[in-house]
Amino acid sequence: MTDSRVFLAGLWLIVTLELRQRVRGVSWYVLLGVFMLLVGIVTFLLWLATSAWLSGGGGVFSTIIFFVLLLGTLVSPALSGNSVNGDRDAGTLATTQVTLISTGQIVLGKFLAAWITALAFLAAALPFLIFAVVLGEVSLATIAVSVLVLAAELGVIAAVGVGLSGILTRPLFSIVLTYLVVAALSLGTLIAFALLGTATQQQATSVNYQVVSSTYDEQTGKQSNIVCSTAQTSTHNVPRFDYFWWILAANPYVVVADAAPGSFDDGGHPTDLFGQIAVGVRSAQAPPKLYEENNWCDEAAEGYSGQAYGLGPTPQETYDGAVPSWFIGLTMHLLLGAGTLTWAWRRTRTPALHLPAGSRIA
Amino acid sequence: MSVTTVFDAAGAGHAIVPSGIAVTGVSRSFGAVSALLNATLTVPAGSVTALIGPNGSGKTTLLLMLATLLTPDTGTIRINGHDPVTEPERVRAIMGWMPDTLGSWPSLSARAALQTTGRLYRMTREQAAVRADELIALTDLGDFADRPSRVLSRGQKQRLSLARALVHSPGVLLLDEPASGLDPAARTSLRHLLRRLAGEGSAILVSSHVLAELDEMADAAVYLADGRTASPEQVAAAGASARAWRIRSLDAPALERALATPGVVGALVQILGVDQLGTLVQVENEASAAALLHNLVLSGVPVCDFGPAVGNLEHTFLDLTRSTGPDAEEMK
Repeated sequence: MTDSRVFLAGLWLIVTLELRQRVRGVSWYVLLGVFMLLVGIVTFLLWLATSAWLSGGGGVFSTIIFFVLLLGTLVSPALSGNSVNGDRDAGTLATTQVTLISTGQIVLGKFLAAWITALAFLAAALPFLIFAVVLGEVSLATIAVSVLVLAAELGVIAAVGVGLSGILTRPLFSIVLTYLVVAALSLGTLIAFALLGTATQQQATSVNYQVVSSTYDEQTGKQSNIVCSTAQTSTHNVPRFDYFWWILAANPYVVVADAAPGSFDDGGHPTDLFGQIAVGVRSAQAPPKLYEENNWCDEAAEGYSGQAYGLGPTPQETYDGAVPSWFIGLTMHLLLGAGTLTWAWRRTRTPALHLPAGSRIA
Repeated sequence: MSVTTVFDAAGAGHAIVPSGIAVTGVSRSFGAVSALLNATLTVPAGSVTALIGPNGSGKTTLLLMLATLLTPDTGTIRINGHDPVTEPERVRAIMGWMPDTLGSWPSLSARAALQTTGRLYRMTREQAAVRADELIALTDLGDFADRPSRVLSRGQKQRLSLARALVHSPGVLLLDEPASGLDPAARTSLRHLLRRLAGEGSAILVSSHVLAELDEMADAAVYLADGRTASPEQVAAAGASARAWRIRSLDAPALERALATPGVVGALVQILGVDQLGTLVQVENEASAAALLHNLVLSGVPVCDFGPAVGNLEHTFLDLTRSTGPDAEEMK
């Protein structure tokens, strides 16, 4: 056998051993059953709420994807966050390390097993995703991209869980820290974005020239003899969310939403949850106007129509005009996952140079 | 043999000349605590060597280093000529380690655990299944082989742990407290098994607290105290020092009278007292013990039991730990 085949055979052995150890018995299937029941209820309610039989399954599909991400990030840390240090506590890590299995195979195998476990949730949600697709209006690109990115995000959480379990000595602590990482990415980014944006307020100035008096010709609909006011200056504070939009890019939900190709209706409005979130995040990229001059007199002389002020850009225009951020976020997550796994590998390598304080290697 | 491939991989390019374990000047500290200081020992192929020392003397640290899990700070280790630090894979292919902790995959049966271990040593599925059956028979686990290992008793887990260390038929065996938790029958079969493996050419290092048992199976002993191995001179001196002998007679009053008679007890003998098993006397060396027995028999005392009160290993061990001063006593 070649070296790589030996490596892969050992890796797969660790994966299967890990799955037999951790994912076992009735309780696991009960958990998956409860998950399927929840997704079923959510699907039914969404079907009612979005009138999906008329508007298509985009809303249902995107929400189920988010639901799988939510449940995956809630369950994965508990299943992966003690995989290395839990084995060390149980005395099975060292007995594996004295065999011809390398530390790389152990860490990587445990990561793959944790990832496969998380993907089981995606598989359990599959019937409902298919139902949403059958409702129509979900593009093939949206299906492919959102499922792939979701799978990658579940992999990142599994990698962080396994990685932290190799870095930290105590299983409870590494599980809690994995949950904190999940919370920091999912909620912490939102809080940091909102707080930092509103804390860095800037003064915006607007100068207005108002029409004081004019003569309106009903025949032509034009104004003449316009008397203009002097410049009227007013100031107000605006938050600078445009400095901090990249924080939101690190949010896994934003990554999934932003990665999916935008799907908009004729009026330029998003047709699924992905689009709504992506538009919201991308609109934060635009800097606020810090100086604004409105000359209402000129507008009046040119023939006030009301149209000139326009409506703002449509959501689709905002979406198309901004930089997509999902690959930045996904790259950060992949680096985080790979980094913690590498660190765990270095900490678990044998023969060991250092032992963490108070830990037994056996 | 079903696992010759493993050996071939380990011995590739080398003529296989098993040289056993050689440890020279090994030290290891954890932070400010020195676990081992300049430990030196050899375990020749085809022999059983006992590793003896009080709790915390560094036995497990030494075994972890021999088992390729821990690097020494200084000194060299050779397992059949291979360095565990630079060629851990070669050492792992020829070394079996039974840890002092009873770790086994809780949801796997003993049979599945042994098969999995075999496959971790790169055996095929069939080779691993055959070897697992052999080991289940060897360690007498047949009745429990298909139950999940979390329901096994301590002694059964201990046997499983031994079987796992033997999966790849290693030429070097490191056993950390193998007899603890075993019933007397299992202890006897462990002793026979280790003697047989040594007879087949394995180098075996056994750490244990049950010194009487090591007496019966060990060819040699290594004494560890405060992380130091006792030198051969120290061991010889301790082994030759005065020790207690136990005398039992069919006629206890006659023995008492004889011991009180001047001339029967030599100058080198001192009476320590009487316990439920007989009379204890301190004897300076074996020559004075022989003289005492001679005199007792001549005095007409019906002696039915005359021998050292403690085994050789225990006597040497106790003497060495006493001689290292009050520190060693505190550690116990």
